[in-house]
This record gives sequence, structure tokens and C-alpha cells, in this order.
Amino acid sequence: MTETYEQKIEQLKKIIEKIEDGNTSLDESIRLYEQGAVLVKQCEALLSEAEVKITTLSRDA
Amino acid sequence: MDWFYCPEMSVAGKTAPLRVSEVSSIIEKLLDDERLQDIWVKGEVTKYTRSSRGHCYFTLSEGKGANIAAVISCVMWKSDAERLSFIPADGMEVIVSGSVSAYAPQGRYQLKIKEMLAAGIGEKYLLIEQWKKELAAEGCFASERKRLLPAYPSRVGVVTSETGAVIHDIRIVISRRYPVEIIISPTAVQGEDAHREIAQAIRRLADSVDVIIVARGGGSFEDLFPFNHPDVVRAIAACPVPVVSAIGHEVDVTLADLAADMRAATPSAAAELVVPDRKVLHEQLQELRCQMSGALLDRVERARVTITDLRDRLRPQRFFRKVDERKQATADFADRLERAFRTWTERERLLLSEIKTALEGRNPLAVLARGFCVAEKGENVVKSVHTIVEGDRIRIRFYDGRSHVIVERVEHDGNI
Repeated sequence: MTETYEQKIEQLKKIIEKIEDGNTSLDESIRLYEQGAVLVKQCEALLSEAEVKITTLSRDA
Repeated sequence: MDWFYCPEMSVAGKTAPLRVSEVSSIIEKLLDDERLQDIWVKGEVTKYTRSSRGHCYFTLSEGKGANIAAVISCVMWKSDAERLSFIPADGMEVIVSGSVSAYAPQGRYQLKIKEMLAAGIGEKYLLIEQWKKELAAEGCFASERKRLLPAYPSRVGVVTSETGAVIHDIRIVISRRYPVEIIISPTAVQGEDAHREIAQAIRRLADSVDVIIVARGGGSFEDLFPFNHPDVVRAIAACPVPVVSAIGHEVDVTLADLAADMRAATPSAAAELVVPDRKVLHEQLQELRCQMSGALLDRVERARVTITDLRDRLRPQRFFRKVDERKQATADFADRLERAFRTWTERERLLLSEIKTALEGRNPLAVLARGFCVAEKGENVVKSVHTIVEGDRIRIRFYDGRSHVIVERVEHDGNI
């Protein structure tokens, strides 16, 4: 996954805004919802599964 | 004769005596000089005593034994003395801060001390004050420079000792809260060269992380001293990403803390500040999910309403209503036509009967009905007796028939 958690959350918020917007067609809204559901799953996975990684820089650099 | 009373010469104490309190008041005014107020003074403590009420009295002196160059009486009231971080003793080199004032009841001047530091520390303290001014002038502490921490960092830099509790605490807290990459930039945190190392450690991280924690566990004033050094302060102020400081205990405020974008009370608190809590994020995610479902349900409901509306508009009632409207218009028109026609026929009928009456008045047969007859000879009506002669065959027309007669005799009226 190349996008950060933050970007996914932003996308999710935009999707909700679009669905709430009266000008979006029903078909489009359903398509957006499906897309949003995938994002929610990805975010959950990021939060639950990812581990903290630790690197130590060299002091001579 | 009164030796001391010369009224003509009693001017400003030159010739006539002033009262003691007047002299004392002049001295007090003289001592109220800014060079003697809120000053730092360095000297050696002698004749130190602490009264039963907790006030401290001593003498600050310069030079020792026979070489004493100057002394000044000092007093430190209980409220200030309570804040001392050490117990003063005779022979101690100190730096004190206070103001000189006169004490009229004893005819003495004294230094009223607000703050007292042991000389080595005291000098460092003064150095910090000086750096603070310089760095403030450079804008290192400016509040408008402070940045917000990133909401979802992916890499967190930590500048601290690679051994010890600090890095351990930060690791534990971050691991529990949010999955990021921690990049440790190790450095000495105390000692002669620490300030250079710390500044370097900050610069090393600057380009590869989203936020930096500069941390050190608790220590003495001197242990924390490198975090006041301009090298460290400038490195923090110049750092391209936000810096959170957690240096010493909460009561210790270093210049590094002032320059940092945010200050945390402890390294663990700093860790909590830099990363969000995944529990909270889970909750937010659920909220977003609910919001999204709600939005879609709303959208479907709107679509349903639209369809209902369209169906209503398509129903034949509307068409029938139109037809009814036309029918009504047609009926109205027929009514009007009929009424107009009736009026016209009645008028015609009236006219006709008038004509008939007039016509009947002129009917010759009607005259016959009243008992008159018409004589006709050939095709002509006999209007005069001159037109007939004896023996003529004529017709007599009655209202109900004719008779054919032969003229027996002709008689003329008048002319006879």
C-alpha cells in the first residue's frame, strides 16, 4: 500500500462528501460506497497489523 | 545667649541641624539608583545566620582575611530563602540577585536578596540568561514559528541516548499507540561536548522524518545544561520538521524546551503527543463508516422519493383532468350556442307572426268572408259596371266558392 493512513482517511472523507452531495447519481454513490468500504478495510488493517519498526542511525554520519 | 539658635542662618542643614530622619530619607533616595536595583553580585558568604523566623542574614565579602576589600550586609527573607536549592554556608562563593536599600532604624544599608546561586552554577545560570536574550533576538523562541505536529506521522525521529529508560519508554508508548517507523539518532546527553552532538543528531534526522522528539531523563541543573546551549537551540529552531522536547523533569525548563514546537513533561508524554492513539483512530474509522452508510441510505431514500414523484406525475389522472377540462369547455360552448340560437329563433318567430298578421289583413278572401263577393270577367276583376253588358258571362267569387252567371241587365248609378 503506497498511500499513507492520512491520505486514505482524506479520500474517505471526500467520498462521504460526494455521496452526501445531491448532485451525485445513485449509481455513482453506490460505486463510491464500495470504494469507501475498501478504504475502511485497508485503514483497519493498517492500524491492527502494522508493527513499529526501529532504525538506529550511525553517529558518524 | 543661645549658641545654637541663629534663625537668619537656618537653611538646608548647612547652618541649622536636620533631623536624623531627614538625613536618613536623603540617603534612602540616593540609594534608589538603578545601578543598585535588581543586580547580580558575586561574593563570599560570611557570618551566615538563619533566624528562628526563617530569614537569612549574612555578609557578602570580597577578598579574604586581612585582604578583605569590601563587605555588604545581606538579608534574604524567609519566602525567598525557602526556594533555595542549597543551604548556604560561610566561605561559599555565591552569585546573588537583589536590590540595595537603606535600613533607617539601624543606620545601615543592605542588599535584599531574592535569589542566590552557588558560584559555578550561578555563572552558568547567568550565561543561560544571556543566551536566552540573544536567541530570543534571533527569533528562536517566537511563538509564530511554532508548528503543529503532523496528525499521522509515518516516521518519528528520536534524539536521545541510545541506552537508558528514555528510548525504552518512547518505544513502548509508540508501539502501543500507532505503527510508525522510529528512527533513533543517538547522542550523548551530558558532558562537555554534548551540545555539539545533540545539535548534530537533530540535523542528521531532519530530512528523513516527519517529527522529532528531543528527550533526556531527569538530571541536575548541570546535567541538563547542554540543552541550553545555542548550538542545540538553533538546531531545533532551524529544524525543517516539528520538534517536541522532553528534557528533565517538568519543573526544569531549558532553552531547548522554549525553542521546541511543543514541550512535553516526560519522554512518554512526548511519545503520546507525536503519534495518534490507534484506539481513537479505530473509533473515528467506525464513525466514518457509519457516516458513509448513512449517506448512501439517504441517497437511496432521495432516489426513492424521486421515483415516487415521477410515477405520480405519470399517472392518467392528469390526462383525464385535461379531458374533463376540455369537455367542460365544449359544454359551455354548446350552451352558449343553444342560448344564442334560441334567442335568434324566437325573434324570427315573432317577426314571422307579425308578417303573417299583416299578410292576413291584406288577404282578399278575408274580405269575402265578411260577405263580399268579387265579379270576374275572363281574367279580369270587374271593377266597374261599365265593363260589362247584358248577356255577359261572368263569375262571382264567394269566400267559399264561385258561381257562373249571365248578366240580365246593367244599371249605372248616378249617370242614369
